Amino acid sequence: MHRTTGLAIVITAALSSAACEFTPITQTRIEGSIGPTFANLVTLQMSWLGMPPMSTTDLGVNARCRRPSGQNAGSGEWTCSLLWQGPSGRILRDSYELFVTTDGCYTATASSEGIGPPTLKTDSGREVRNLLYAFEGCFDTT
Amino acid sequence: MSIRGLGAVVTVESLKLLRQIRTHVVLAACVFGPFAFAAAIRVQSSLPTDTLFGRSVKDSGFAVPLVILGFAALWAFPLLASLVGGDIFSAEDRYNTWKMVLTRSRSRADVFTGKVVTALGFSAVAIVILAVSSMTAGVLIVGVDPLVDLSGFVRSPDQALSRVALAWVSILPPAFAFTAFGVLLSVVSRSSVVGIGVPVVVGLTMQLFALVDGPEALRRLLITSAFGTWHGLLTEPPFYEPLYHGAVISAAYFVVCLAIAYGSLRRRDIAG
Repeated sequence: MHRTTGLAIVITAALSSAACEFTPITQTRIEGSIGPTFANLVTLQMSWLGMPPMSTTDLGVNARCRRPSGQNAGSGEWTCSLLWQGPSGRILRDSYELFVTTDGCYTATASSEGIGPPTLKTDSGREVRNLLYAFEGCFDTT
Repeated sequence: MSIRGLGAVVTVESLKLLRQIRTHVVLAACVFGPFAFAAAIRVQSSLPTDTLFGRSVKDSGFAVPLVILGFAALWAFPLLASLVGGDIFSAEDRYNTWKMVLTRSRSRADVFTGKVVTALGFSAVAIVILAVSSMTAGVLIVGVDPLVDLSGFVRSPDQALSRVALAWVSILPPAFAFTAFGVLLSVVSRSSVVGIGVPVVVGLTMQLFALVDGPEALRRLLITSAFGTWHGLLTEPPFYEPLYHGAVISAAYFVVCLAIAYGSLRRRDIAG
């Protein structure tokens, strides 16, 4: 009986350590996905709102993500801070709270006020969804 | 095994299926379910934001089949896939008809292959109907506006249509793996409750396991992981590696389950 319990503990420990070492959910992958996705959504939203077009390169989005629990790998909650150049040339900073699943998909929800409300009005008065308020993305885990 | 023998078994099994109310109810649900879903989304203000593309269901009709794909992966695909496979062998035990079936001029190999082909055919037909109906419901009820993908890129209706269709095709290998698992349980347990119920429970358990941050290699060994490999088709640049992995894992489950099932049926002593 003791041997079985011991074996179970060893297997659990081995699996847990393997989980820590081999998780494909890494800071580099998340930053590499949320940065370009955010840039694409900004350019799209600007076109919806009839603002002068800007390329994703002009926006120069720089993403910095970390996991509040400390260890910078694994699924669950993450926070990302995005630095980018707005239409007026000012450097803007937006924060997002992410929930990342084990298959490499995430939902990012804005946690700073600069992003605005969930819906926006275009010049013509049409109501559109604020694409930056909350968005989803996926990255390759292989 | 002969092609003629196989054809005869498939014809008989298909006719039996077509006579069952269960088949009609399930296929009708696959046809009308997506329309009910799209109509409900249209009239209510809240969105299914906990599923990928849930935020876009009012913006583009192409998001509708993707949301349904995400929902169905939880338990509907394992159920659809094992509904016939999990019953097609054990029904002979239930009605005590094995003796009659095996004393005809068809070999056990013919009967086994014919039943498996019928079960796979039903799984494929149910999934294709659900796919076409989801797409039609999305296009008719929500519209053909471009789709914003998982990288924030706008996909034209043509591109969105082909990507969504490919995403649904990617569901077939894991669905067939579940059908084979249902067949195995149906042969070994001789019980339709086990044949249909266990794949659904196993599917749910695998999904729960995938929520935990376990080793990646282990996660990829689950059949249900292959239900989510389509995500790479809707990013820019797209990534296909998980799709290949999913197909290979599904094929492995498929072959192993059917080999054990056939071995068990071939050795079975049907007397009396």
